[in-house]
Amino acid sequence: MQLTEMSCRPSVAPVSFPLCGIALFFILVFWMIPGSPVNAAEMSVPNPGTDLWRDVRQRSADDMPAATPGIDLWKEMQLRYEGQTPLTGTTQVAGVESGHLINSIGDQWRRFRMEMLVPFGGYVLMGMLAFVVLFYLIRGRVPIQAGASDKVLFRYSLYERTIHWTIASTFLLQAFTGLIMMFGRSYLIPVIGHEGFSTLASLSIDLHNILGPVFLFALVLVFIKFLRRNIYQKGDLTWLLRGGGVIGKKHVPSNFFNMGEKSMFWLLVFVGGTIAISGLIMLFPSFGQGRVIMGLSHVAHGITAVAMTAVVIGHIYIGTVGMEGALEGMKTGYCDLHWAREHHDWWAQRCEDDGKAIHRKDIPSAGSKKASPGLTTGQTAENTAE
Amino acid sequence: MARMKFYCDAERCIECNGCVTACKNENEVPWGVNRRRVVTIKDGEPGERSLSVACMHCSDAPCAAVCPVDCFYTTEDGVVLHDKDICIGCGYCFYACPFGAPQFPADGAFATRGKMDKCTFCAGGPQQDNSAEEHRKYGSNRLAEGKLPLCAEICSTKALLAGDADVLSEIYRKRIINRGASVLSRGISYQNATLRAPSGLSGKATSKE
Repeated sequence: MQLTEMSCRPSVAPVSFPLCGIALFFILVFWMIPGSPVNAAEMSVPNPGTDLWRDVRQRSADDMPAATPGIDLWKEMQLRYEGQTPLTGTTQVAGVESGHLINSIGDQWRRFRMEMLVPFGGYVLMGMLAFVVLFYLIRGRVPIQAGASDKVLFRYSLYERTIHWTIASTFLLQAFTGLIMMFGRSYLIPVIGHEGFSTLASLSIDLHNILGPVFLFALVLVFIKFLRRNIYQKGDLTWLLRGGGVIGKKHVPSNFFNMGEKSMFWLLVFVGGTIAISGLIMLFPSFGQGRVIMGLSHVAHGITAVAMTAVVIGHIYIGTVGMEGALEGMKTGYCDLHWAREHHDWWAQRCEDDGKAIHRKDIPSAGSKKASPGLTTGQTAENTAE
Repeated sequence: MARMKFYCDAERCIECNGCVTACKNENEVPWGVNRRRVVTIKDGEPGERSLSVACMHCSDAPCAAVCPVDCFYTTEDGVVLHDKDICIGCGYCFYACPFGAPQFPADGAFATRGKMDKCTFCAGGPQQDNSAEEHRKYGSNRLAEGKLPLCAEICSTKALLAGDADVLSEIYRKRIINRGASVLSRGISYQNATLRAPSGLSGKATSKE
């Protein structure tokens, strides 16, 4: 003890060199003599713990009782956390997953939302908008080449238009409110502040949640009403291969709905259905679904909602500025004859063969209850779609 | 500044749920909400351990990262708090939290989520310290009175500790050393030790300060 202290402190009076040499000599000599006190195992070093430490060193790790006996449990917990299996125990506190000690999916979900969904969702939507603008600048508005006709064909009944605009308005409101909640923290809080954005986000989430079941209901009605006309048929592949007429000059013939519209319908059914169902899973936490299910629902909801919004941007473009005469059918129920010939020629041909093309001045005014030609021709519109 | 942390010693926790009860009573939390819970792993099996869990007041809190309205903030003491006037009850913090700390009172006609409630480290909320409004929304603000969270203060075995992380880690370090010394000097582990020490053994494992 004293020796080590001295060697550590140079300030202690230095021992002269010859004295050191003599001491070293004697130590070496004594070492060589067997049984000398230097070599003795029983040397009286004032360290009574030596035996204990030697004993500890000789014991194998397995024999050693751990200082923290729970260590194996924590190791297992760590492994299971990394393997995404929640370690479940028991607890007196009631509640969903209250026995889960660690939520293993939370961090993955956080990374998905913050590092993938929000930035890439933004890129996809901005990219789609840019694409539409670019497409318009290059291609321009698709005109009715034969010019507006004075004859029209009945295309959508009042009921069909109602469910279309119901699902359209609910989708747009939900997309808009969803985007507020997705990008608001980055772009709106710096502008309107925390309190202002909280009010806006609170209204947004309420509107978003209330419209969720409405969207699903409208989706079911749309599915039932438009299913028959949206079954893929011969000729749809040609339409797809020629990009709906973008590739090549000639128009690609199609039926009541073309390949693009049919695909839009099926996207709405499957992708829109996924959005609605995953949303409902998150909306009603009272059914006991856990965080894994809700986290996965959010992943599905986020991806499908961004994808559907991008598709709808394209749908809105082609229905309004992208094509002359496209909006008319969904607005008034009647479409221009020339437009129908150019875009849905098989259907237009059949309608003309049946003599269903009527003059513009024969269109019954909205709200008139007499004869209701809308309804009767509405049935024929569907029948001719076959 | 201090960085406030909870520490629960699984070697000491006896699953008495005193912390849960104390928290519930002190903070007068809404029905269906428990800010703290005791989880028992391997209940009834050898190696059973219990842990008291609440908000861990993370340094990089996932709840704060994902909150779409940015209602979380970290106090100077390192306590993660949130503003219920800003919260919209979306539940994102609940998905992200590793410890299941955010709780939602069933609210509204369809029992959807109300505003989030979680452990505040007995530090209240953004309102005036110990005001009636703060107490109604967030419960007690013991930190402002110079006291530590009641759950830890009431813990009978001092398994649950709350306070400055430096102090807590020092206490825990001492406990570990003492347990290690117990193993070395007696050749038995803490786990195998019986409640009453066999007569053949002498000495005590815990140090007296």
